[in-house]
Amino acid sequence: MALLFLWALSGPCLAAIDYDGLFRQSSDLMAQGDLGGALDLLGKVPPPAAGEEAGAFVSSRMQAARILAAQKEPDKAVAACREVLKLFPDNSEARNFVAALEQQLKPGWHTVLSDTLRFLPSLAKGALMTLLLVLCTMLVSPLGGLLIALGRISTVRPVSGFCWFIIWFFRGTPLLLQLFFIYYGLPSLGITLAPFTAAVIGLGLNYSAYLGEIIRGAIQSIDHGQMEAAKAIGMTYGQAMRRVIVPQTYKRLMPPVGNEFIALIKDTALVSTIAMVELMRAADQLFNTYFNITALALAAVIYLVLTTIFTFIFEKIEYRAGIYEQR
Amino acid sequence: MNSADQPLLKLKNITKRFKSLTAVNGINLEVSAGEKLVIIGPSGSGKSTLLRAINLLEEIEEGAIIFEGREVGYVMSKGKRHLGHPRAISALRAEIGMVFQHFHLFPHMTVLGNVMEGPLTVQGKSADEARSIATDMLVKVGLSDKRDVFPATLSGGQKQRVAIARALAMRPKLMLFDEPTSALDPELVGEVFDTIHTLADEGMTMIIVTHHMGFARELADRVIFMESGNFLAQGTPEELFSAGQDNERIRGFLNRLL
Repeated sequence: MALLFLWALSGPCLAAIDYDGLFRQSSDLMAQGDLGGALDLLGKVPPPAAGEEAGAFVSSRMQAARILAAQKEPDKAVAACREVLKLFPDNSEARNFVAALEQQLKPGWHTVLSDTLRFLPSLAKGALMTLLLVLCTMLVSPLGGLLIALGRISTVRPVSGFCWFIIWFFRGTPLLLQLFFIYYGLPSLGITLAPFTAAVIGLGLNYSAYLGEIIRGAIQSIDHGQMEAAKAIGMTYGQAMRRVIVPQTYKRLMPPVGNEFIALIKDTALVSTIAMVELMRAADQLFNTYFNITALALAAVIYLVLTTIFTFIFEKIEYRAGIYEQR
Repeated sequence: MNSADQPLLKLKNITKRFKSLTAVNGINLEVSAGEKLVIIGPSGSGKSTLLRAINLLEEIEEGAIIFEGREVGYVMSKGKRHLGHPRAISALRAEIGMVFQHFHLFPHMTVLGNVMEGPLTVQGKSADEARSIATDMLVKVGLSDKRDVFPATLSGGQKQRVAIARALAMRPKLMLFDEPTSALDPELVGEVFDTIHTLADEGMTMIIVTHHMGFARELADRVIFMESGNFLAQGTPEELFSAGQDNERIRGFLNRLL
């Protein structure tokens, strides 16, 4: 190494400069990890005299700039680029590199802000689709869950068996698989669904199964005396369920159902796999196009905003549903 | 059906078994309109089960329930007895009021809502009609000032009086009281007792299962002592509580209570 250095120092003494050899030497030094040595060598390439070939000079300074940028010395890297630009103001490689370096030198929030403004429209569109999916599923799954719960506690064997099967199947297989089956599998049975329909059916069935078990538990946790009291004033089973038992489950249902719906907001990301462009897919597309992590961070923020809003709403509903328990 | 001597309720050979235990063992009973019947006896003697069997909250294995001269509750098919059609059962229960030891008020409804619920949902009356019936019933039990509060804010005695009003709102022909004062603090027993007493004075037919001897002494036409699913003795309060009573078991039971 010391030998190499000596030899390198002797470089300028040569009358005709062997540029190819010089670049090879600097590459070797870089490969050995001696970036400082490589920089020294590159710095020895003189600016071209009038009429002289400029390729070696430009290459040497740009290579130096890349090494300096990699060493986290953007100021020196910019200086190297400026040497080139002084002689060749139109050199696009140097200009782009300076622009990129200056972006790095700018305060971070500035870039983040401009990226945010750039990405927000498509992310907002995706978020709206996510919200629509969530609302549709929130409409469908409590009804489905109630039916499954009532079916499960029914004394009619085939009904309770069927509802047991639904819960067993949809809780026991991955949601992703269910979505694939509905969107990609059903067409082979002659049923072709639009992505949105398939997504709502998949999410709806899956969440109905989960909510079914939650609702069943809540119904069975209501004191048996309530059913007897309802029957004693002459109510049928259906009237007792509708007027007495089910309304009392609302407060107990809110915490676990709120949990499920928070999970649902995030689970909608899975439908990006069946050709739906929602928040996750929109963020993913931006990330792949610009290779910019800001898009993903923004998606995270939007998910957090959505879950926060829903958490807040559920807390309010829980409070209101239980108002009669307060003394 | 409306003949004066026909009993309002007639029980024939009522038998209820829980697995190997016979809770009610071939009970026969007639209750005439306006009669106040009090059933006493140790815990587990089958008194509550018998009461619950009358409005079909408990399904019996044998026997017949005859209400206003017609047999109710059960049908025979393929040589086996089954509970009858749910509508018929609900219709019977609508004519028989029941008050539970633990009140079982509907906690999510206001006091007024609780009392309105029967007329509104079961009898299909309009909200205005149901509200006016419920208001009358709350006046009767002395709780009209509590109409808009939720049951959670009431004392035990108040809860039980609301439960009585809820049953009365259906204009029942028979009232069943299943230990109506057993879950109450001693100082709250009086108000519930008074409410039931008023009802008795108005001529309501009632069967009361209780450990509270005041009911037996003060308002019973007939007292039945029940043990191990059987009627051990019955008679007027004077007969049963007289010093001359010679049954050792009844004496022992009463001595413990009195």
